[in-house]
Amino acid sequence: MSPLGLLVVGAPRCAAADVESVLALLPPHLPVPVVLALHRGALDALAAPLGRRCALPVVEPDDKDPLLPGAVYLAPAGYHLLVDRGCVSLSVEPPEHGQRPGLDALFESAADSHGPRAAGLLFAGHEDGVAGLQVLQASGARVAVVSALQTGGEGEEGEMEQLTLGSVGGWLARLAYVPRSKVLP
Amino acid sequence: MTGPGARGAELEALEVDLLLEGVARQWGFDLRSRSRPQLLRRLRHHLREERLDSFSALQARVLHDAEALDALLRTLSCTPPALFAETAFFRDFRARVVPVLRTWPSVRVWHAGCGTGEDTYALAILLQEEGLWGKCRLYASDASEGLLADARTGVLPLPTQEDADRYLEAGGKGALADYYTRDGNWALLQPRLRDRIFFTQHNLATDGSFNEFHVIVCRDTLLTFNRALHDHIHGRLFESLARFGFLCLGRKESLARTPHAGAYELLEDRGRIFRRVA
Repeated sequence: MSPLGLLVVGAPRCAAADVESVLALLPPHLPVPVVLALHRGALDALAAPLGRRCALPVVEPDDKDPLLPGAVYLAPAGYHLLVDRGCVSLSVEPPEHGQRPGLDALFESAADSHGPRAAGLLFAGHEDGVAGLQVLQASGARVAVVSALQTGGEGEEGEMEQLTLGSVGGWLARLAYVPRSKVLP
Repeated sequence: MTGPGARGAELEALEVDLLLEGVARQWGFDLRSRSRPQLLRRLRHHLREERLDSFSALQARVLHDAEALDALLRTLSCTPPALFAETAFFRDFRARVVPVLRTWPSVRVWHAGCGTGEDTYALAILLQEEGLWGKCRLYASDASEGLLADARTGVLPLPTQEDADRYLEAGGKGALADYYTRDGNWALLQPRLRDRIFFTQHNLATDGSFNEFHVIVCRDTLLTFNRALHDHIHGRLFESLARFGFLCLGRKESLARTPHAGAYELLEDRGRIFRRVA
């Protein structure tokens, strides 16, 4: 398996609180950047509330800012947030599924720029993001869908791994796993 | 590990490279310095719209047909869809830039990357309301002749109530309806606005500076370019801006890491209006 280079997270508006809980689970020395697209209105202030319980800084990047490990990059209102190898790329392409920032857009760009070195996490609840996550999965990335309720069966997401808020912590830990000698002094 | 889509992705990347090479050599439009993720997404979108199966098929069409190229360039450009789309910018411009422009005898304004002209006309309305229209020359440029032709007509989709509200929110002093006459579902902007805007074809990627300006508006246009071309264009913009002139960028664009960052001062802490001070 290729070493992880990027974690992309997409979530509809209704999952904002769940996203906050999951961000709190991220280890403080995460060796990769986290890029987060969350459906939002023009006036929502999100970076501060999302960063409250998160060990990593949560920032809304400017266009072409570099992607650095150990930070959470939140899509600013009114722009699609894309990743372009080592930096972010903002875009004013038309909204998709009525949303800008959009989730499909982020997942698609992660598939192009990182492919198997990316990991993708989608919070269920909106049609946006499903197609993008499938593209990301097809490019070799590790992907999973988080639902508030245990669905049990495999729905429209096909063979994707299904997680709950209880099991997402373990998934993240496996993802960020690096040999202990590199983490501890 | 490579996924099942990896080989398809390699082939797609090859086809895209060939298409871009072809467009550059045949038409002189070098799209290879575009922001890659955005370019790929727009190209795929265009492919779906044109109901084509592959970029090779698109290449065959675009190389032989100037209209197909024009359609492609249209898809790649993303103009704001309505007048006063970003109210905060126009509010800041009124508050911070207009008072300074009043003190100058004449003002040359350049809107770089005007697309189909929505923001250009919004700016013209603002300048007229502030009593600056008489001493202003407003130049609007875009690389695409097709988009410029649309902009020149001064015809827009009929503004909605939402547009009128945004106009007021942007500090509008009258009613938006004063600036156009209705023709069915279309709005014909007033000739006194349209006739005093100089629309000109100019490719930021390849053409040099063509005048010295007191205000340059270039909002969200440079998002579509990669870092190298973005920095190069900032060099051209710097050369085109008079000392103490204003450079207006998009809300999430920055001058950080551009070659002339030190010569500018940020005016607003909310918007992105810079003043050239050196």
